[in-house]
Amino acid sequence: MHSQTSKSLPPGFESIEPFVATWVLPDAAARMAQRQASRIEELRAFYNAMLPMGEAALAWLRDYELGALPPEGERLLKLMLALAEVAPAVEWYDDPRVFDGFPVERITYLRQIHDTAAQGLESAQ
Amino acid sequence: MNEMSVPPVPGIGLTAKYPEIGTGPCDTAIYHDPAVYEKEMEAIFKRSWYMIGRVEQIAKPGDFFTYEMPTFRHEVLVCRDRDGNVNAFHNVCTHRGNMVEHRPEGHSQGLFMCRFHGWAFDLKGNLARIRDEEGFFGVDKACNGLKRVPTGIWQGFIFVSPTDEPYQSLEDFLGDQGRDTAGYPWGSCTQSYQTSMEVGCNWKLVNDSPAEVYHIPVLHPVSAAPTMMASGNVMGRLLDTEIKGNHRTNSHYSVMGEPKPVQKLAYFHAAAAQNVAVEDKGYELPVGINPTRSPYWTVDLIMFFPTLAFTLSAGMYTAHQVWPLSANRSIYQQRVFVRPARTAAERFGQENTMVEFRDIVMEDFSTLERIQRALDTGQIKQFHYHDHELALRHQHKVVTDILAAYDTEMEAQS
Repeated sequence: MHSQTSKSLPPGFESIEPFVATWVLPDAAARMAQRQASRIEELRAFYNAMLPMGEAALAWLRDYELGALPPEGERLLKLMLALAEVAPAVEWYDDPRVFDGFPVERITYLRQIHDTAAQGLESAQ
Repeated sequence: MNEMSVPPVPGIGLTAKYPEIGTGPCDTAIYHDPAVYEKEMEAIFKRSWYMIGRVEQIAKPGDFFTYEMPTFRHEVLVCRDRDGNVNAFHNVCTHRGNMVEHRPEGHSQGLFMCRFHGWAFDLKGNLARIRDEEGFFGVDKACNGLKRVPTGIWQGFIFVSPTDEPYQSLEDFLGDQGRDTAGYPWGSCTQSYQTSMEVGCNWKLVNDSPAEVYHIPVLHPVSAAPTMMASGNVMGRLLDTEIKGNHRTNSHYSVMGEPKPVQKLAYFHAAAAQNVAVEDKGYELPVGINPTRSPYWTVDLIMFFPTLAFTLSAGMYTAHQVWPLSANRSIYQQRVFVRPARTAAERFGQENTMVEFRDIVMEDFSTLERIQRALDTGQIKQFHYHDHELALRHQHKVVTDILAAYDTEMEAQS
């Protein structure tokens, strides 16, 4: 298990390896649920580890078109998508939930943008 | 925009442009009275058109999606036929009434087959095949095709009418608002997140929620306020409200504030997918978007009365849709439309946009069920609207006028 886990992200991203198990999730709905199920201390730990790697992660991801990511790149992208989900909790609310907000658990996702698949660039209009 | 220039702070005086709307307090009965809701169903909802999707969802012949219209409990099947036409049908088998197509979306080889007894309908809704037809007593296939739902397309959005005979054409329904906002690159935002939730409040409260920014400094102090109040606009005022018949547009003042760390990552690496001002858009905005042509514009709220609104910026937009269920229950559906991402880094920008928008709307919606409780228990009989809450005052007048005209219409008939 360990040898597999140590290679699960591209080289240089070892510091965020411990978050792969929790934050590499199938889709946005799962990320929203994970944020709501976490304590703010856990979200802060994830955020604090991810933020310093953000520039490097996006620079790495910029070289890949969607749909052509190797598995370790897909995991890196999913960690960054999780950072987007967690950011308001840490930066705005200091709480997993929207401060004094409508309960997000009452939201149902009907349609989602795929995390890693190529997106058609043509317009049908 | 010259960063050294100080933008002018928007003033008071929006309501004065429309003296017929008045300035007094507004009676809140239309927000909770079940009898009013019953009348709204006849006078407003059955006479409107409803957006249920986009043409990109059914790009190729045979592509389909299904959609339930909560207000009317109509289940609609939308497909593209081999001539390229977009067709909508009631998703109801003409044999015994089961749903013909149960999947939310997909591709058909040319026949929709009911999973109850196997009656099959083609992409034009014709009844193509009755299984074991010899056991029937002269069912005429030509008369038993799927029932058509009146359909229209505006700027790639698929609209349907809830009644067999639409009260007015889609073009007339959309009116000047439709004409003045056509030409925006609606179809270039091909990627979308769609969410739904039931809210215990009147449909008009859902419309009201994004339709005034008087609340911005107080309700959104750390999320939306820093950009919308920047450069001295401490009251968070609008650039303008423009009324067009039953429809209206709020034009929002905002300047770039200091982004939060994760926003900064998204803006730098994925600006195209972001809800921020763009210097060079590569197209001209139509006259109905940023109508004052202000350099301090970022977002318009474009309302198509009664139930569809767009929060729209140069590079993306969100559709807000409310489906009334009763005087104090509604379904809210949100579709965040963004441009396609090419690289994996751009995908991050899309997610940042969706999450921020969702959370800000959750801040807005904290108020809805609380207000409805106050309305239902008779604790608030009047609303006092600020000059920059003109959109709410306008909605109140539109609803009140339509209901009064409907009363007159009914009296004339009896």
